[in-house]
Order: sequence, then structure tokens, then C-alpha cells
Amino acid sequence: MLITQLKKKEELLPFFKENILLIACFGCKEVHFPSKEYELLKAELKTLNLNISGEIVLDYLCNEDYTAKRLELYRNEITKAGTLLVFACGVGVQTLAALLPDKTILAGCDTFYVPGFSGFTPTSYDCEQCGECKLGLTAGICPLTACSKGLLNGPCGGTKNGKCEVSKNMDCGWEKILLKSKAIGEPNPRIKEIVSIRDYKKSFS
Amino acid sequence: MRFTELTKNGKFIVTSELGPPKGFHIEKALHEAEMVWPYVHAINVTDNQSSVMRLGGLAMCKVLKEKNIEPVFQVTCRDRNRLALQSDILSAALFGIDNLLLLTGDHTTLGDHKDAKPVFDLDSVSLSHMVRQLEAGKDLAGNPLEGEPPKFCKGAVVSPCAEPLDPQLFKMEKKIKAGIEFFQTQAVYEVEKFAKFMKSVKEFGVPVYVGIVVLKGPGMAKFMNENVAGINVPQDLIDELKKDKEKTKSGQTGIEIAARLIKELKPFCQGVHLMPLGWDDKVPQILKLSGVTAEK
Amino acid sequence: MPKLDYTKYKLKNKEELLNIIGDNARIYIVSCNKCFSELKSTCEPETAELNKLLNEAGKTTAGFMPLDFLCNEHLSEKALNSVKQDILKADAVAVISCGIGIQTVAGLLALPVLGMCDSVFQGGYHGISLNTEKCGACGDCYLTATGGICPVVDCSKGLINGPCGGAKNSKCEVSKDKDCAWESIYNRLKSQNRQDVFISEAPKIRNYNKNNADFMDSNVKRIQAKRNEGFYGGLYPEERKELTEKLVITKIADPEIVSIPLQQHAGAVCEALVKAGERVSLGQKIGASKAFVSAYIHSSVSGEVLAVEPRKHPLLPFPVLNVIIKNDKKDEIAPSVASKGSLSSCTGEAIVQAIKDAGVVGMGGAQFPTHIKLSSAKVLDTVLINGCECEPLLNADNRLMIERPEQVLTGLRLIMKAAGISKGIIALEDNKIEAFESLKSKLAGDACIEVISVRTKYPEGAERMLIKRVLNREVPRGGLPLDVGVIVNNISTVVAVYEAVYNGLPLVRRVVTVAGAGVEKPGNYEIKIGMQVADIARACGIKVPDNFELKMGGAIMGFVQDTLDVPVIKGTNGIIVVRKKDELTAEPCIKCGRCVNVCPMELKPHKLVLFAQAENWEMVEKEGVMNCIECGCCEDICSSKSHMVEIFKSSKKALKERKK
Repeated sequence: MLITQLKKKEELLPFFKENILLIACFGCKEVHFPSKEYELLKAELKTLNLNISGEIVLDYLCNEDYTAKRLELYRNEITKAGTLLVFACGVGVQTLAALLPDKTILAGCDTFYVPGFSGFTPTSYDCEQCGECKLGLTAGICPLTACSKGLLNGPCGGTKNGKCEVSKNMDCGWEKILLKSKAIGEPNPRIKEIVSIRDYKKSFS
Repeated sequence: MRFTELTKNGKFIVTSELGPPKGFHIEKALHEAEMVWPYVHAINVTDNQSSVMRLGGLAMCKVLKEKNIEPVFQVTCRDRNRLALQSDILSAALFGIDNLLLLTGDHTTLGDHKDAKPVFDLDSVSLSHMVRQLEAGKDLAGNPLEGEPPKFCKGAVVSPCAEPLDPQLFKMEKKIKAGIEFFQTQAVYEVEKFAKFMKSVKEFGVPVYVGIVVLKGPGMAKFMNENVAGINVPQDLIDELKKDKEKTKSGQTGIEIAARLIKELKPFCQGVHLMPLGWDDKVPQILKLSGVTAEK
Repeated sequence: MPKLDYTKYKLKNKEELLNIIGDNARIYIVSCNKCFSELKSTCEPETAELNKLLNEAGKTTAGFMPLDFLCNEHLSEKALNSVKQDILKADAVAVISCGIGIQTVAGLLALPVLGMCDSVFQGGYHGISLNTEKCGACGDCYLTATGGICPVVDCSKGLINGPCGGAKNSKCEVSKDKDCAWESIYNRLKSQNRQDVFISEAPKIRNYNKNNADFMDSNVKRIQAKRNEGFYGGLYPEERKELTEKLVITKIADPEIVSIPLQQHAGAVCEALVKAGERVSLGQKIGASKAFVSAYIHSSVSGEVLAVEPRKHPLLPFPVLNVIIKNDKKDEIAPSVASKGSLSSCTGEAIVQAIKDAGVVGMGGAQFPTHIKLSSAKVLDTVLINGCECEPLLNADNRLMIERPEQVLTGLRLIMKAAGISKGIIALEDNKIEAFESLKSKLAGDACIEVISVRTKYPEGAERMLIKRVLNREVPRGGLPLDVGVIVNNISTVVAVYEAVYNGLPLVRRVVTVAGAGVEKPGNYEIKIGMQVADIARACGIKVPDNFELKMGGAIMGFVQDTLDVPVIKGTNGIIVVRKKDELTAEPCIKCGRCVNVCPMELKPHKLVLFAQAENWEMVEKEGVMNCIECGCCEDICSSKSHMVEIFKSSKKALKERKK
């Protein structure tokens, strides 16, 4: 799923033209939207005499139908605006850009990924949609996402105290796989036999 | 000259490690290599060691080869996808490089280009599998290679003192199944642990060359204990380093410890691999002190 | 109808499946109903397919459980626990789900878990609604300089500095069906005359370390902690308490006329005890019922009864009898209004009687008669005073705690004595620091009473949530707080109890927060029951702007008023003006799962909607609609704009009618 972080003011300013219309999407707010930071940035932009023509707060910008209907509601404001500064995830910004191809659309946020598909709350588990699920072999722990290098054939030598070399907060995925395999008494012989090589065709089209 | 043959002939293998420079002036590196060469069977050339960008390992190996120094070409999966890995390994064959050390590689975030995209298209196991495939005259996708296929001696690494050890053994076994013929290890400071490790890998029947990193001081030991995977420097060695400050400062204590470790570890393994981390000039002294020579 | 289907998994082929199942003989199947697809069935066809395959292979199916949103660890754990006996009889659990679901089950069970599916790659991440646009979540949004077309996802090579040379006839080299993203970007910029934006930019290099393990981990942990704070589900609405939180409770000019409904409580409507033309005094009982569940109604002014007639009720959809009184502004007190004693002088029974005589009801909205709660025969151990006031904008209870802490504490002690309970807790949200300090300072070392601060989250003020949070007890579905030994009252009610005993004053006035857009004089006002909202609007200068609406109660659970000719009643804690919701029509559910994620009662609102629309009342009941507390969280986040609360209210009604 997606979460956002505001871009720095300095990054946005060079793109500003006359009459900026702010559009903020609060659809995912119960998961995460930097609402406080947004208010601060808004206040700061106002002090810069940038001629902010208005603000539209809505939700689920990614819902094309609803967004189209709403744009109809705010048609005057949008026509008047020179630039639309959109605070939403990448999907929201693109949806709006596709609906308003003649408008300059500025992205106000950077979008980040957190585990958990789509709308659902962030999960502790992640799935890379590799298209060749190995979970049946790996005690239900995914080597692609639980290992920082996505290694398919066992751990690297970077583990220290059960933690991954990239972060002391991250468990070694392969240690977990092997411990769990042992705990559930599931010595799947295939895990030792097969040299797994990822078929990227299955995941990248 | 393949390690496997040397080992078969009952020789105790001695190798050292060389990091290419950050730049393309190799005089200093070459000088270090030449100084070490009389005492070792081969010199490992690292591949952007610790994810820090340096001169390419293949070029360095080629230069060593020209000086009649035997290189071990280290290959990691961090920076190249399967296409680049195969072409580099074929290039190595062209240069007559016999020994490969196949590794997964440190994560990009550990090095000096933290923003880089970590590739990890393959890992050490699949990399070995791929080399074996090349040796069988096919590329990884199964397409035939032109002419006589290349032949390498394929090595990999293992951490004998990692805790827990089982995941390491699991991977080691898998590496052997994928064609690995020798192992160089992470630095070892605990003789008993190593002996135990060697006992459990005896059944694999693959030579193991024990890794030695010279301790430059107590600070380095403590740092490694906290941060470096698979390494635990026992307290008595740290105390020893603390004792005679002058000796430690000149590197003498570290040299003595390294030499002693080699002596103690030698009975359990088939070779020793020195990682001097810039103290290449100390290698001859360490080997002399330990009584180990590279019979060529 | 959804335009797209983000099906996340497909069953592996037979050979692979059999290989994975191996020697396991008894298999339990857990399957996840696909998300982001049209909600039609509640069990996916893959389950039957796998079951057939298992049978053919001579395996035994130990049972199967289809679930929604297997990735929801909290709910999946409960569901799997309910069939634990069956699962434990199996050799392995076969999971039909995307990778997240499989891992969730594997994390919950000690048995071998067999992944039966491959996850289908969607290429980038989509938003909440079904949409063709994708986001690469690169953490470095380039859309500004690329005309709103994403080069990371839309270009097959993810090039960020312009096209490669591989496009032919505007199509990408990897597929003739794929547009060259950079050509689209170029055309978009050209049409906007913005090519220079792109040309003038320095070469860009992606930072792959932006979404590193630690950053991602901290995001997940932070958001999860927030989501699971205290109780499952809920929301963090904008609080906007600052509008009135510092405003001292003030009196509002007395109205000329009050209109007092004879139903201001859960239970039986009262009969009028007065007739047109009669004189009444302040505090005089003017309505009563013989029914067990009911509460007396009193006059809030002195004056003359003008009429007893049906009038519009602020909450109920039908007119209710009102006693209309012309206020003579003399405030002549009824003789019955006299102190009933004090905490020490009154017996428990006397306190309950005083509360009953004063017509005290729950003043947080539900308006349940307080004396009945106190007369329960159940074994009780805690009086929990709800000082959360979790709805945005409201501050009535907050101000009472700040300004009248002694009354709150004494009121609580009265309730404890009346119910024979020695433990009292006042819980308030952590956004009420002043109130917390105020109560603490007056506690004077009373070990029987605890004042605790809990993190702000909606609907914290709902009894069940509060009990779970504070006492970690779960009120059974269909049960009451009394079932777990707790009496819950809110702050205004406690103050009313104090007044009923110490002053003998019936519930004839209350504190109401007036706030929101177009409110000239927002504040916390002490208002007489029966005062018309129109009079209050005049006094406070309320002009409801376009696209806004006036609600009685809170911003979320409050009732929209289409006329101002309705009176303040005992449960009116706020008169607020909030932005109207978009009048967008409901679209079919796309199973985004957000309602399930926020429902504090752990219901599956999307399913309830499905069954209610099909008038499948049996399933509506089975799915627990009667437990819905109508908090509105699901409706608030519904990405298909379903009017869920309405649907659930009418479902409950339909169920009740069927039972008759």
C-alpha cells in the first residue's frame, strides 16, 4: 500500500506559476496522511504571496469517476487556476493529470511503499507478487521480502545476532525460515535440492 | 593452477586478499601484491569490497596475471545481473583466470553508494550453478557457448563462527551441491568453535581455508564484535591487545595473535586465507612466525 | 461495476500443487475471498477446485474456511481460533491467498502451511479505488516534471531522464501493446508548452535507499500501533477542539418559549402531566410514564403552558408530543426542588430515587435512564466515567471537568454509593490536559477513584471501546457493560446526578458546545432543555454556509437538522456546523477492506451491505448487524461512498419488525 510524505517547499517553488489551486486527498487519512505537515506548508505558502487561489479537499482521488464528478463541481476554480498543486499519492496525482491533460499538475508529495496490498492496513508481511510462490517450501515465510537481498537459496553471511546486515531492526529472513521449518518439523527436502533462480518474466510485464 | 589440485596433492593452501584502489593507479596495490606473492599460492581480488566502489576486480586480476601472480577473482551478485555476471566470468576465462570466489555480496546500504539499486538478480548458490552451467558449455538460459567451455575452480565463503550455525551449514551444503569446490571463511578467532565447525562439515569433503584478519587494536576488535557478522573476538585476545600498548601500536601484538591462530587452526583445515585490510606488508612476517609456507 | 480486477492470486497448476502437498494426508483449507473485485460470493471457486483435486489424489479435507482479508491478522487469528479443533486434526493447512495471506496464516499456526497460489504481479501499486494508474512508490515523485505521467512505472525500463531509442510507432520495444511512456510525457508537456521544464532539469538518478528497511519498518510499526491503539479499528478524525476548548461555560439569554419533548430518553414516551393554560414552575414534573424504562420530564422555565402538541424531534423521524411553555423569565422554582442531602447523609436507595425523580438520563447521546443502570441485579465492580468526548469539536464535558471538578467527583462518588461499588475510574483522552490536571488536583488522595488519560481515538467514547481500553474487558456481542461488571456514565450525566442530589434540581439544563463554520460566537453554553435551535442560532450568530450543514450531537454521529425549529434535549451535547459530505452516489463495493479495518465492533460492514441489499436478513443478523454501534467509521472511509449507517439502521429495523 502507499503512504506519502510532503516534498520540501524548495523543491516545489520553482514550478509555481500564477494562481495555485491546492488539492488535498484525505482518502487514506486513517492510515497515514501528513495532515499536520500539510497545514504547516499551506500556511507557509500563503505567507509567500504566491497567490493561492483556493483549496479543494477531497478523498479517494484515485477513484476516477468520483474525481471526474467533483472536478465538475469545482470547474470554475480549476479553470481559473494556473497550477494545480496536488497532495496525494502517485496514483492520485496521475488520475488527476489524466483527467486534466491541459493543466500543469504539481506533485506535492513523495510516495512510499509499505507492506500490505492496496487499501489494507500495513501488514507485517509483504508479498512481491513474484508469480512463483515459494511459501510452501519456506515455512510460510517469504525469502523475497523477509530477506533484504531477496535471496532464494539460503542466507548470506551478513547475519549478526539474528539480525540482517542492513538493519539491526530487521530479522534475518532465512534464519526465521530455517528455525520455523525445524519447529514445525517440516524438513522439506526440496528446499535443499533446488537451486532457485527467479523468473522475472513472471513479475514484470 | 587450480586450488583443488594443490589440495589433492596434500598442500596446505595459503592465500591473501587485495583490494583494488579507488582510482586507476595500481602501482601501490601491485607493489603490495608483489611483496606478498612469494609467501602465498594466490591472491584474492575483491569485488567492490563492503559495497565501496573501487577499480574493477577483473582488470586487477588481469594485471596480476601479467606479473605471473596467481589471482582469485571474487564475484558478487550485488552490482550485476545474470548477463553481466556471465560475460565477466567468460572474460576471466579469456584471461586465464582459474579460481573464482563466488559471493552474494554486502548490501548496497552498507557501502559508499547507499542510494544504489541493489541487484541481487542471482545469489551465491545460483551464481555457482550458473558457472557450472558455463563449464558445461551452456549459458544460464541454456544457449550453447561457442567452442571449448571454460573451466574454473569455484570457491565460496562460509562463516564458521556464526551464531546460529545451522543456517550457514544449510547454505554451505547447498553451495556444494551447486558446484562449489573450496571455501574461504570469514575471520576466525575462536579455535574451538572452528574445530567444531570443521567436524560438522567433514562429511562434505570440501577443503576449507580458514580466514584470518589481523587485529590492529582493541578498538577494531570491539567494533567487529558489535558490527561484523560471524565475528566474535574473545575477551582474552582483546585484553592481550590492551596490555602492551607500544607493541599493539606497532602492530606486533596483532601479528603475534594472527600467527598463533594460524598455528592453532592449521590442524583442522586445508589452508589459510589472510585478509590484511591494508596491512599487506605484515603478511610475510605473520606467515614466517606461524611457520606456514606456500609450497608451490 | 468495477472496471478492473486486481486479482492478487491464481491457483498453482495441479502438478505443482500435488508436489507441495506431498505426503500430507489430511488437509485443512483456508481461502481468502479476493479483495478488489466485485463482491458477489463469499467463497471463491478455487476452494472447490482444490477440494476436488485433493479428493482425486486420495487426500482428506479436514475442513475449510473462507475468509475475507486474510491479511487482517487480528480478525484472521480469531477466525482460525474458532476452528482450532478441526485444524489441529490436519497434517497441514493449505492456503489459497496472495502471499501476504499465506504468510499471515503461517505466522498464526504451528502447522505446516502450504501455499497453493502464485501471486499475480500488478506492476506498481494502485490506490484505493480501481484505477488504471499505478504508482511505483519510488519516494522521489517525478510527476511534476513529467506532465503527471509516471516514468518509473509506465516506462518498461523505468527511465527517468527521457526515452531510450527503442520505441517504434510510439510503442515500447517490449510490447507492441504498450505505449512509450516518454512519448506520452513529451506530448503532454508539449501540449502544455512545458518542454523546457524537462530540458532544464539536471539529470536525475534514483535513490534506491529512500524506502530502506528501517524506514519501511518504522512506517509499518507506527501506523500499526496507531491503528491498534487501545482497541481494534476506529479513526483519528480531525479534532478541531481548539475552537471552543478554552471558552468558559456561559449562560445564553433565556428563550421566550421552550418546547419540551415528552421523549428524551430510551424507553417509553411520557404522558403529559400538564395542559394548555396551566402555570408551571421551573423544575416541575410535566411528563411521566408508568413503564419501567422511562424518565421523567420537567419544565426548564416558569411560565404558562401554551400547548401540548406534536412537534418535530431532533433525533426521531416522527413528530413527538411537546409541552410548549411561554417563559415568564421569573424562574420560579417548584417546591419539589430542594436538596436531598449529601454523599454522607443519603443512602444508596435515596440517591437512586433522587436520580429517578430528577429524570437523569445518559447525556452523551443514547439517553438511557440512569436510575435503571444503577438498579441492576448484576455483580458490578467498577463505575467508569466516560470523559473522552471523542467526537470532533465538542467540549461540553471537557469544560465541565475543567470548571466543576468537585461536582464531577462528587457525582461519581454518589453513583458508586448508589450502586454499591468501591472502584471509580474517570477516563479522558490525552487531548484534555487541563481537565486531567483539574480532576487530579481535586482528587485529594482518594484511592477509590482513578483518573486516567488515554490516547485520543474515535470512537473512544463508545462504552465498549472504553471498557476494552481501560479495563481490557470485552463486552460480549449483544451484551451490555453491566455484563462485564461495569457501569458507564458520561461527565454531563455525573454532574446532573450531583445536581439531583445536592440541589434537588431535575435535568432541565445542560452544557452544549456550539461551534463550526459560520458560527460567529462559538462557545460552551448552558442551555435550557427545550430551547429552540433557531433561538440559539440567533444568539450565537450561526449562518450555515453553502455546502455545510447543522448537526445536533457530534460531527460524526450527530444528526443533521434540516430545520432549526427543533429543541435542545437532554442528549444534545453539541450544535455544530460541518462540511456536507459530497453527494456522490454509492457505487458497488470493490472490497477494498477499509470498512473491516476500521469497524471497532469487528464486524464486516461490506458484507452487511451486501446481505442487506439482497434482503437476506438471516445473514444480516448472523453477521451481527445488531452489534453495530452506528459510529460511522465505515461510512467515513468507504471508498465506494456507501451510505452504510443508513443501511444498518434500516436493517436493524427490518430485523426487529420480522421478529414481531
